[in-house]
Amino acid sequence: MKYLLRSLHPLERKIIPFLKNNITVQELIEQAQSSDIEVMRAAQWLENKKVLTIKVDTKEIITIGDLGKKYLKEGLPEQRLLQQIKDKPSELKDIQLEKEEINIAFGELRKKTAITIGKEIAITEQGKKLLGKESLEEKFLKTLPRDISDLKEEEKLALENLKRRKDLIHVSAVKTRTITLTELGKKLVKEKLDFDLIETLTPEMVMDGTWKGKEFRNYDLQINVPKIYGGKRQPYMEFINKIKFKLVQLGFKEMTGPLIETEFYNFDVLFQPQNHPARTWTDTYQLKEPKWGSLPDELLVNKIKYAHQEGGRTGSRGWRYKWNSTTAMKLLPRSHTTALSARQLVKGIHVPCKHFAIARCYRPDVLDATHLIEFNQMEGFVADKSINFRTLLGMLKMFTTEITGIDKIKFNPSYFPFTEPSVEVFVKHPDLGWVELGGAGIFRPEITETLGIDVPVMAWGLGLDRLAMFNFRIKDIRHLFSQDLKWLREARVVV
Amino acid sequence: MPTIDISLKDLNSLVKKELTQKRLEEEAVLLVKGEIDKVEGDKITITCADSNRPDLWSTEGIARALRPYYTEEKWLQKYTVLPSNVYLHVDRTVDDIRPFIAAAVLENVAITENLLLQMIQLQEKVCMTFGRKRKTVAIGLYDFDKMTPPLTYKAVKPTECSFIPLDFKKEMTLKDILKTHHKGIEYGHLLEGLDKYPIIVDSKGVIASMPPIINSQATGKVSEDTKNLFVEVTGTSREEVHVALTIMVAALADRGGTIKSVTIDYGEKKFITPNFTPKRIKVKFTDIERIAGMKLSLKELKKYLGRYGYDVKKAKDGLELEYATWRQDILHPIDVIEDLLISYGYNYIEPLVPAIATVGSVDELEAFCEPIRNVLVGFGGQELLNFTLTNKETLFTKMNLQEFPLVEIANPVSLKWTHIRNWVLPSVLEFLEKNTMQEYPQQVYELGDAVVIDEKAETRTKTIKRLAWVLAEKDANFTKAKQILDYVLTGLGLSYEILDTEHNSFISGRCGRVVVNGIEVAYIGEMHPQVLTNFKMGFPVCAFEINISEIFKLKQKK
Repeated sequence: MKYLLRSLHPLERKIIPFLKNNITVQELIEQAQSSDIEVMRAAQWLENKKVLTIKVDTKEIITIGDLGKKYLKEGLPEQRLLQQIKDKPSELKDIQLEKEEINIAFGELRKKTAITIGKEIAITEQGKKLLGKESLEEKFLKTLPRDISDLKEEEKLALENLKRRKDLIHVSAVKTRTITLTELGKKLVKEKLDFDLIETLTPEMVMDGTWKGKEFRNYDLQINVPKIYGGKRQPYMEFINKIKFKLVQLGFKEMTGPLIETEFYNFDVLFQPQNHPARTWTDTYQLKEPKWGSLPDELLVNKIKYAHQEGGRTGSRGWRYKWNSTTAMKLLPRSHTTALSARQLVKGIHVPCKHFAIARCYRPDVLDATHLIEFNQMEGFVADKSINFRTLLGMLKMFTTEITGIDKIKFNPSYFPFTEPSVEVFVKHPDLGWVELGGAGIFRPEITETLGIDVPVMAWGLGLDRLAMFNFRIKDIRHLFSQDLKWLREARVVV
Repeated sequence: MPTIDISLKDLNSLVKKELTQKRLEEEAVLLVKGEIDKVEGDKITITCADSNRPDLWSTEGIARALRPYYTEEKWLQKYTVLPSNVYLHVDRTVDDIRPFIAAAVLENVAITENLLLQMIQLQEKVCMTFGRKRKTVAIGLYDFDKMTPPLTYKAVKPTECSFIPLDFKKEMTLKDILKTHHKGIEYGHLLEGLDKYPIIVDSKGVIASMPPIINSQATGKVSEDTKNLFVEVTGTSREEVHVALTIMVAALADRGGTIKSVTIDYGEKKFITPNFTPKRIKVKFTDIERIAGMKLSLKELKKYLGRYGYDVKKAKDGLELEYATWRQDILHPIDVIEDLLISYGYNYIEPLVPAIATVGSVDELEAFCEPIRNVLVGFGGQELLNFTLTNKETLFTKMNLQEFPLVEIANPVSLKWTHIRNWVLPSVLEFLEKNTMQEYPQQVYELGDAVVIDEKAETRTKTIKRLAWVLAEKDANFTKAKQILDYVLTGLGLSYEILDTEHNSFISGRCGRVVVNGIEVAYIGEMHPQVLTNFKMGFPVCAFEINISEIFKLKQKK
């Protein structure tokens, strides 16, 4: 009881003196001279504290409408019509009733065969009996408001008739909340409530020590509080950071580069022939503005040209076509992260080295649940004399297991213009079966040797978006670039 | 990547081995760098990853690759070419148009419906992918009994010559065929701007075809009643037309046809086609070991390469290999090493984690961005990740701005994605537009890439990092934006001033240019109500956008 007394909110203390069994909330509001919201909140809190129970009764109450009130004063239109024609029949134009009232009066009186309607409106014998007599409906109107469950049979009939007429009566559901005190409640109302509790601790009280010897009101800790949203990192960005962190731990250096690239770095350095289908309009974006970039120094450009045309000095036959420097100058939003590796290889590397990039790429796809118009690729390469196909598989295996948590992996032969041997990595997803994660291989000698790199360079490019979908267990790829604030606010933090 | 339809039963009869569907999927298809797309009863659709192996794009081609692997049969089925007196004269008029041609005659081919379907499939795939949509290679098949050699390949004026194209009843000029025939409409651009078009004509003056467009009704109709076939390939490279011809001829010979040669007479030079003489390459043992990462005995090398279609001989410090003439994808010994590893089986190779010690690092600018993003989270900002592709309406119209040059896509997939953003704020406002039903206040930010035109740069553009921060709520105002901007800039150790400026996206008199050391680094202000209306937002919005790349440069200078 002491704890209960200490936890009472000022609003609760305000209504407790008026509590008794079977009091309605409406009565409490009047007696405690408080607002209905305050009384309701206090009553609910007390109910939570098992001091009382609130019983809600819903009653259908019939009240009189505006038109009903008017007719009670003036008489119902059918009665007024009878009065007007009780002595002699009258023409329609002479009847002094509103147009709507005439329709209703005609309807009602014809049902009761009280009038005949011809050229003139005349009262019948039956009508004369009704004259001056109070109808059931009129009687009923006078008794309102009424509880629908209390009606007698004939009143129910009158109710049905009146319901059909507009605005004479209204039937509405009214809730009555009745309070019943529990045993605890019965004790509580007998307690004295005049002791002093600290509601809010003020800076002044802390400073002057007036809190000493007083008690604080206990709070209801289970109370619902209004929701607010904190700031959060974008889940996909966090995922990317997590992977970057792993790559850096493994000794990889990050590469970055321009979003708009020349075909030279995007394709030519990578020994992708200029007539390769992937270099066409349908497979890569092209730019309307600006169209052409420039090429690096002539020495490098010539080396690339000869590698394409006849294999350069690499022991390759080359692609055997006429390489065009204008094509290499064409600009495009980079179509794969391998463009970043190309830039790094041209810039120069210090063997042994490991480089990586996680970067945005573009491909003309339609945006849907499985395709993005822009996507993130994770690219990496390792250059060292110890690199070979087995170390490539070893790296891929370590890597995919580390990131996906799945250790069932398989490697399929594949084809990329810039790697040989080439391989595709699949992981066995528990729900989806074998899922392709990306491609890898050893850069062709036509690329590395042309750039003066004399050790094998293994490279891989994984679709990061798909990895992220695994991680978040989402089926719609568009969530990665989510446009839904609710989803972002509720998304779990990556662990 | 081409996809091809095959019948497993048909494939097995050509391989001479009963492969189950499971074995095909888990082993055989990997050997041809394929993947099974779809299975419908006996019909199987395979995607071929290697866009450089046209010899694999038919049931016959896949069977040819698998046969040495699954049977004891030697790799090189002897494609015997019998001599003939069929001549094809090449007139110099085609020199500047489509200079090369190769041809063969196939006798006594038992033509069935399935064979016709396979031939059409192979012809199409080779012309589409390898032949770059007929631009570099186009193939024609004819009923040889309706032709009278010698034949001539020449170019004529489009209005001077006419014939009935395949599936038509009326004779038409070459010019009209390009305009009316559906193949003419589809491929006509390949002859655009030329004053003469190529044709193949026989000794009686019967026109066989107009390469690379369409055959004539007179000779080009091939059906189950056809006995002897004429195959011709035209193109822009001698090597490519020869490769395509050997692929077509080998496929027909695999089905039982007898190959007869055609003499291609260029005047001063003559070539007899098809030519199945194997190609040769040398591969050093040291290179094999270096790339494979394991030592294989000569016996093993012979086994794995032999069953992948090579004829293997030991030479000084390496192997001397012969391989099929259509393997034009082999440019370098590395290509043979890949075949060796595929034949060995990628999944039988033991992976080895490389032990190379290097120091890792994050890019400096990227590393600079991270703490800034986290500070904004501290203020209650929700980070966003948006596309960099957007459109003119979002970048200009909705932002109340006049258009200026930006990076524009020439072949957009949708009108929603036509430009690359030059700043981030429009993307962020667009995000808010989609979330007006969510609870306010909404405080969001994005620090991401944008691209601006830079005439002096190698790529005529500059990729920059920009940060846009916005707050939308009923009492969003300049003060709230400035408090956060101040904390961010001061936290970076920068002193700045805010100068009055006019910017149509912001309310006049409540918009500032933020300047550090005389360099403009940011905009701040209350968004113009017209902009809010354009983005269908009902709450006031205050915002700032910082050029992070610029700030990074300033910090580096210090």
